[in-house]
Amino acid sequence: MFANVLSALSIGFLKTLEIFGLTLVGAIPLGLLICLGAMTRIRVVKYVIRFLVWVIRGTPLMLQLLVIYYGPGLIIGDNWWGSGEHGRFIATIVAFIINYACYFSEIFRGGIQSIPVGQQEAGFVLGLTKAQIFFRITLLQVVKRIVPPMSNEIITLVKDTSLSRIIALQELIWAGQSFMKSAGIIWPLFFTGIYYLAFSGILTVVFNRIEKKLEFFRV
Amino acid sequence: MKSKKLLSVIVGIMCMVLLAGAVSVYAGEAASDLAAIQDKGVLVVGITDFAPMDYKDENGNWIGFDAELAEAFAEIIGVDVEFQEIDWDNKILELNAGSVDCIWNGMTLTEEVAEAMECTGTYALNAQVVVMKADKLADYADAESMADLSFAVEAGSAGEAVAQEAGFEINSVQNQAAALMEVAAGTSDACVIDKTMADAMTGEGTSYADLGYAVSLSSEEYVVGFRKGSDAAAALDEKIQEWIKDGTMAEISAKYDNAVSIAEARDAAEEAE
Repeated sequence: MFANVLSALSIGFLKTLEIFGLTLVGAIPLGLLICLGAMTRIRVVKYVIRFLVWVIRGTPLMLQLLVIYYGPGLIIGDNWWGSGEHGRFIATIVAFIINYACYFSEIFRGGIQSIPVGQQEAGFVLGLTKAQIFFRITLLQVVKRIVPPMSNEIITLVKDTSLSRIIALQELIWAGQSFMKSAGIIWPLFFTGIYYLAFSGILTVVFNRIEKKLEFFRV
Repeated sequence: MKSKKLLSVIVGIMCMVLLAGAVSVYAGEAASDLAAIQDKGVLVVGITDFAPMDYKDENGNWIGFDAELAEAFAEIIGVDVEFQEIDWDNKILELNAGSVDCIWNGMTLTEEVAEAMECTGTYALNAQVVVMKADKLADYADAESMADLSFAVEAGSAGEAVAQEAGFEINSVQNQAAALMEVAAGTSDACVIDKTMADAMTGEGTSYADLGYAVSLSSEEYVVGFRKGSDAAAALDEKIQEWIKDGTMAEISAKYDNAVSIAEARDAAEEAE
């Protein structure tokens, strides 16, 4: 029995990891894009982006999952996502990337705006272009400053993956619950907690390492 | 600066077009749902883990009374069958969004179901029963005596509806299995679930050996639901009548300890109505 549960939970956990990994891969670049959009001088873009960030951060992720997965079929009459587990997975990834990109973008914006303007001015005086200033002077300092808030958000993401259960994606929590339904045993559901704990433990260690590595320069 | 303004106008227009596009492409009903399913080559059946109708064998394959019938129907219309586990609460949403083609999972015909789905005729019979600890059964012989008990029911289920009607104090949980779990854990005194499931999952030799039932609150009918307006429902109904008459249904039920009570075939007079 234990082996059965462990293998089923591990399959679920793999799905959880996939959501986690793909969300990060998609949300970090998109977050940077949204962040730049929110700071641009082009007003229309700025307001559209800030509106989007407001909507995404102002509504529950669970609701966004429901809208993104069921919305196309219900509103347009055409289910983009295709049937089966694969469609649910893609929809989940899309919802998570959009949601997390919006949160990341605000962290990035805070990081970038916390760098004193004087550095930028000094760069201009030395004849550097805007891009050179951003990539050679600002960026690394930003990275250092946003590590703590990013680690916070990323550890939240580990647990938020369980929300995809609402559109019946078979991730870790689903795997644990399925034993309740079929075999009538409840401990596998609680046992999923061990997976989440272990994984966020590993992440905590990784982030501590990154912080130490960036310790060599202080601002 | 000029080019930036132009760019901002273009972006603004694009946003509006996208929005308008999303709203306006509202497509009408497909001509034939059955043809659409055959085109797609796969019948996606929305189910939950619900023994003995749909559940997994040791190898993880879906089996059960409904699962076998669904496979037979898919073969007749010449498509593959795909079983998709869904949240029972979202069954109508799943159908309308096109993520499943039918709900075939010991579904009780309720007013809500009849309104939102294109249903087949009745293929099996069921009842809502009150499950509690077996040693307490003798103390609660009828529904009136149960007024002071706390009940667990599946959210959106027929059991929830009859429990509400009876005026019971209820807690809505995620599925029938969770309702059983509540009773086993003692967090609820009793639960109202399908007789079919109670037969399969309570009593000696099951996961819940110390639970049992004695009281039925209502009798009801199992149907298969397709999207509203789908012609597939009538096609399946024809087969169902055939299967009831030629004994195919009884044969399959026998495989599952006769836990499913097959409906009687409708006679020709009823058919004409």
